Amino acid sequence: MQLEKFYYDNRIVKNFAYATILWGAVGMLAGLWVSLQLVFPQLNITQYGSFGRLRPLHTNAVIFAFVGNGIFMGVYYSLQRLCKARMFSDKLSNIHFWGWQLIIVAAAITLPLGLTQGAEYAELIWPIDLAITIIWVVFGWNMFGTIIKRREKHLYVAIWFYIATFVTVAVLHIVRSGELPYTWLKSYTWYSGVQDALVQWWYGHNAVAFFLTTPYLGLMYYFLPKAANRPVYSYKLSIIHFWSLIFLYIWAGPHHLLYTALPNWAQSLGVVFSVMLIFPSWGGMINGLLTLRGAWDRVRDDVILKFMVVAVTAYGMATFEGPMLSLKSVSAISHYTDWIVAHVHVGALGWNGMLTFGVLYWLIPRIFKTDLYSKKLANNHFWLGTLGILFWAVPMYWAGFTQSSMWKQFTEAGQLKYTFLETVTYMKPFYAMRSVGGILYLTGVLIMVYNIYKTVKQGKLVANEEAEAAPLVKEYVKHSGEHWHRVIERKPVQFMILSLIVILIGGIIELVPTFLIKSNVPTISSVKPYTPLELQGRDIYVREGCYVCHSQMIRPFRSETERYGEYSKAGEFVYDHPFQWGSKRTGPDLAREGTGNLKKSDGWHFRHLREPSSMSEGSVMPSYAFMIDQVLDTSTTVAKIKAMQTLGVPYAKGFEYQANSDLSAQANSVRINLKIEGIQVPANREVIALIAYLQRLGTDISKNKTATSNK
Amino acid sequence: MYKFIKQYAETMNNANIYPMISLFIFFIFFVVLLVMVKKMRKERVEELSNIPFEKEELTKSTL
Repeated sequence: MQLEKFYYDNRIVKNFAYATILWGAVGMLAGLWVSLQLVFPQLNITQYGSFGRLRPLHTNAVIFAFVGNGIFMGVYYSLQRLCKARMFSDKLSNIHFWGWQLIIVAAAITLPLGLTQGAEYAELIWPIDLAITIIWVVFGWNMFGTIIKRREKHLYVAIWFYIATFVTVAVLHIVRSGELPYTWLKSYTWYSGVQDALVQWWYGHNAVAFFLTTPYLGLMYYFLPKAANRPVYSYKLSIIHFWSLIFLYIWAGPHHLLYTALPNWAQSLGVVFSVMLIFPSWGGMINGLLTLRGAWDRVRDDVILKFMVVAVTAYGMATFEGPMLSLKSVSAISHYTDWIVAHVHVGALGWNGMLTFGVLYWLIPRIFKTDLYSKKLANNHFWLGTLGILFWAVPMYWAGFTQSSMWKQFTEAGQLKYTFLETVTYMKPFYAMRSVGGILYLTGVLIMVYNIYKTVKQGKLVANEEAEAAPLVKEYVKHSGEHWHRVIERKPVQFMILSLIVILIGGIIELVPTFLIKSNVPTISSVKPYTPLELQGRDIYVREGCYVCHSQMIRPFRSETERYGEYSKAGEFVYDHPFQWGSKRTGPDLAREGTGNLKKSDGWHFRHLREPSSMSEGSVMPSYAFMIDQVLDTSTTVAKIKAMQTLGVPYAKGFEYQANSDLSAQANSVRINLKIEGIQVPANREVIALIAYLQRLGTDISKNKTATSNK
Repeated sequence: MYKFIKQYAETMNNANIYPMISLFIFFIFFVVLLVMVKKMRKERVEELSNIPFEKEELTKSTL
């Protein structure tokens, strides 16, 4: 048959490669900076550089900018080769590239400005969410266009992972971004309380699954065999790996919410499926490692294989640890501690980081038709990276475990042994050691930047790489008794629909009952909507990213109820758009901050926000003194109340127009309280609203108690 | 239609059935998958796993 000549587009691969390097360095630098802020709180410079705003910048940069561009680099390189076709459209490739970079820049501007939705890894505001949707469709269009005009009949396993990634991320993003805009930058999420929490961790865990894992598994199935120059160990295993993984992953989200107010059946569902996940995950890891069977001697000399082996091993470790952490008894210890942060970093630094570096070292010399500038430097990078991961993770595992046991210890007299602050100061040396790990890892990355710069300098980009292949014969004669998987392997659209069905089964069974069955969220009559001032205060709490360090969810353990008060109930959060349960306690839980033995005066809160260490010596919380000068923006009150009414919060009809006068009256009473304590501050300041919100936290339930006991 | 489902679902009180249903669906799915994969022919599997390689690379790697 006549061979067709065509050209692979290497320029787009190069662009994404440069972007992943640039954003990787930026994201890791941001990570190092926020880790240092926990050791030296004075590094919280101005409101734009506070921990609560920069930590989301770090997580978003690493996930969506570093790994995101890494995915696209790998997909654009491998997809063209696996399909024996140039990308469908150069124009779409460029729109995708520049669109994605613009989204990253927009995120880098808006997050420090405090423009956030207050949901982890879904912080970006609604206009950016919209842009992500458009660019994601462009990516899918380009990918499917390429698959459809391919010259290779069958879709290699890597492409299935790309297809599943595309379709699932689309579903996750759309569901998580369900929001009601009330200004051109801000919005409230449609979901509230428990439902919002379930949507959030269904999204959050699957962002890990379908953004950090499945696309990288696709890359593993292409680049590891290429680098080892031998086919994947077991193709059959890869089929089982793929289908079981995407089926199981989608259910695992609720393991982030064990012992919370989430209905029990949903928690069990999350646990069972998380534990089962170990099988496909390890199937994949074993498939990757055994691809090197008979070539292990090469791992000693080949730095690219070294990176890939560490990456796959880190994948194995993280996916062993994940199911263990999902067990209720382990979660009781690990949840809210820095153990989880260590777990995440084994995945991010080990699996995503090391695989990206391996692919970069393999791919850059090929598209520049040259050799790698220095294998020695790459080796140095490898060792710095590997040691960096160890120095990062080991202190944090230790710290997390100790932190948890300190929270839970009682004296013989039956009182809590440690104050929360004692656990914070205990953590500081570990935080410092973690930063050393970060410095090592980042140094490795900078060495890579130099090495790749020199490699690029000595080579020349083959922007259009010539290739030849026979065209695909359209008329395909089906054999009788043909294998089902061979059939769908030829049909990308059907393949996508099947993947969509597989992931939707999980999503629907998990989410729909919680939304529909009333008994899942029992209502509590004394729980009332926030007053306008408290609502404004709550939005400041969200803006500052307080949820990054403070949880609002007391689990039913004696160690928690003694410290924080009565455990949290599902019905307490019905008016919370978004929910603010948090996932980590660098600071104490705030769910009952306004009641019981945690109740403090307005003056205490004022002084604490102005200079946290003045009230809590050794605190690592940033100072929020700027809120004393900043005037509360009340022009949004009407729009906010209206939006809340639309979302079903029972404010009386017409209340929105009376809201601002209510707000002023309440602000004035806080001002008077402060004055009594010798603090002079005008009533129209942001700090007043935040204090009102903090004083409201957890009080509804105790009102109920007083009412019942009075009867 | 939606109202009908909602009305029915709101009063449903046996939510514990959900984890059981899901486990059952996965079990069936997995067993079917396993049987299907088991039945694949060896030559086809080999051909598929060699897709990433060019012809000349293949001869090199099988030497």
